[in-house]
Amino acid sequence: MAAVLEVLVWWIALTGIWLVLISTVDPLEVLVGAVAALAAALLARAGRRAVAAQ
Amino acid sequence: MSTSDGWLAAALVPLLALGPVLWRIAHGPAKDRLVGQNLVSLLAGLALLLAAQGFGRPSYTDVALVVSVLGPTGTLIYARFLDVLPDSRLVKWTALIGVPATVLPLCVATGPGRAMAKLLLVGALLIAGSVVTSARGGDGGTTA
Repeated sequence: MAAVLEVLVWWIALTGIWLVLISTVDPLEVLVGAVAALAAALLARAGRRAVAAQ
Repeated sequence: MSTSDGWLAAALVPLLALGPVLWRIAHGPAKDRLVGQNLVSLLAGLALLLAAQGFGRPSYTDVALVVSVLGPTGTLIYARFLDVLPDSRLVKWTALIGVPATVLPLCVATGPGRAMAKLLLVGALLIAGSVVTSARGGDGGTTA
């Protein structure tokens, strides 16, 4: 549950940043951003766990 | 003097401040060079934000965004090599005073919208990066 929540918070934040930084908002951009943000959110959690394990 | 001239005149402040900092980087001890490197990326970010408004070229904001991410990262990498991350009140207070003094007037000029959110994001990154790389450790600082 905590894992899902962590990824979800990252995903929302990163998708928001994507939407702010792109020049024009259209459905394809939103789709690409949402997918990229999900991958980045999973990486962020993996990165935090790797650092915490040290 | 038109409004864009005003923004460009404001951009000269961080730009001219780069002079003594770059001199210090060229001649100072390793610790000072690291602080200087940190300060250069902060000043460059502020100059780019003001230049974006002054020249009417929003794409300069993207360069400021890149600098705000890569600047502190570079400082941390060099801190790793030099085995020290010096405390610097100069960097910290330049960020805490200079960034709001730059970003808030720019936000007023830009008006509400995505461009303003972007400015606030760049400002937050500049402040966060500078605080993380300048206010760590007590006496003399420690490595990251």
